[in-house]
Amino acid sequence: MRFLFKNTTPLILLLAFAVIPLLLGMAYALLYSLGMVGVLHDGFTLTHWIAVCTSTDVLLAFTYTIAISLVSILICVTLAAGITVLLGSTLRKGLTSYVVYIPLAFPGLVAAFFFFQFLSNSGLLSRLAYQVGIISSINSFPNLVNDKYGIGILIAQLFLSLPIFILLNVSILHNENAHALKVLAQSLGANKWQVLTKVTLPLLLRKSKPTILLSFIFKLGMYELPLLLGRSSPEAISVLTVRKMQRFNLLDIPQGYAIAVLYAILVFVLVTIVVKPNNNNVHG
Amino acid sequence: MAKAKTITTTLLLIWCITPLLFLVFLSVSIQWLYPHILPQAITGVHWHSIFTPYNNITQSAAASLLIAIIVATLAVAVGFVVARFIAYHKYAKRLLTLAYFPFAISPVIFAVSLKFYFLKFGLAGNILGIIIGQLIIAIPYSIIFFTSFWNNSVHNLLNVAATLGSPYYYTMRHVVLPQAKPFIITCFFQCFLISWFEYGLTTVLGYGKVPTLTIKVYQYISEANTYNAALCCCLLIIPPLLLLWINKKIFLKHTS
Repeated sequence: MRFLFKNTTPLILLLAFAVIPLLLGMAYALLYSLGMVGVLHDGFTLTHWIAVCTSTDVLLAFTYTIAISLVSILICVTLAAGITVLLGSTLRKGLTSYVVYIPLAFPGLVAAFFFFQFLSNSGLLSRLAYQVGIISSINSFPNLVNDKYGIGILIAQLFLSLPIFILLNVSILHNENAHALKVLAQSLGANKWQVLTKVTLPLLLRKSKPTILLSFIFKLGMYELPLLLGRSSPEAISVLTVRKMQRFNLLDIPQGYAIAVLYAILVFVLVTIVVKPNNNNVHG
Repeated sequence: MAKAKTITTTLLLIWCITPLLFLVFLSVSIQWLYPHILPQAITGVHWHSIFTPYNNITQSAAASLLIAIIVATLAVAVGFVVARFIAYHKYAKRLLTLAYFPFAISPVIFAVSLKFYFLKFGLAGNILGIIIGQLIIAIPYSIIFFTSFWNNSVHNLLNVAATLGSPYYYTMRHVVLPQAKPFIITCFFQCFLISWFEYGLTTVLGYGKVPTLTIKVYQYISEANTYNAALCCCLLIIPPLLLLWINKKIFLKHTS
């Protein structure tokens, strides 16, 4: 058993499953985008990169994905903090403590399917609106899916992420002994508002900062939600990349790889910010 | 304040439970025509069709289950070993960052970048390729997860056991593994779910030839077969719900 924990075996496993596939994938994507490999490769060229960097679609896809992710995180963090502060210990006991877990059992694809069936023009919400007389026909119902503002995507992301942040906040308040801090602040003369804004919320935000940043990075890579709930323009980065790769026009493939490299650079930068390598020890 | 609490709790419960109930409702519906709220009939025919030979939902569920169990088992084993190496390494954070990259990147974009190699080595379009592809995401997650287990307290335990003359195998078997058990089980669940939920990577590397349940859901959605799509969605949700319930009921209570 000891050989498993010796330095060489874990290092080989780390390289084999985490480092080498990533390097190989990104190297191939970069070479393909530079015209060095691939079906129609014709030697080194920057044509595909110039096409990608000057494309409105690509710029729009990055802006749209970043904007949707930021708005989604902002709504999610705010709502989760509000719910946690308001409900407090209710979230740790009884039926609520079980039911709040349910969205965690939903794959992105299933959540996307549900919200499509729920929010679309022929969905349950539209039928309810028709039955109570709010709308008179199927076309009167506003576009909540495949819309230009990504409302469907935002709602689905909120559904999937809200429990994660609620549970995280509950755990932070419990582990950091927030109740004792609250009592202490009150005994020193702080009112309810001051306890909330000077003690509880800063505590929650400081402790959940890495999770917020990581969640933002994951949202940038969303695929299933925009695939079903988004529209063809603007597109999410992942959807645009895959679409470029699967087109019949072979000249689009190098552009798809260039977008993949651009996206990977963005993720690398963000991950480096989240996991700052300034401490030499993980537990330091 | 009490009223606000009750309203928020009720809304939260509705928000969490509605999708589950709605999917079950759709899976037992036929002829759900606009603008009716209820379908023309409620039927168990879709659920019954799972067990008929012309419907291969059972094979898809079995394929998904097999892939998820293999991926979770291997990811836990590799992650446990590699995380120890990283956690006590001089450059722990730098090495941990390496594990974060493949986990943080979009699986579907990762898959399209790796597709060439999978094709070259005959791994595209088969279960082995899907397992290897999913391991590339699940193992980094497992490594990140286990680095929180290999903390200073476990390090001190290892040192004490060694000082007292405990052989390495004995220390691992009787000191470390009992301590790590809740971590191992939780990590297994999480890796199982990563594999079970996976769609983008599976569709790119599987070329549609490995019909996992998520692939089946998308297939039914594309065919506008809402009722079978809802049925597959229910099948996809059941195992995670069970795992979350077990995790909450037994392990979280145990560890707290």
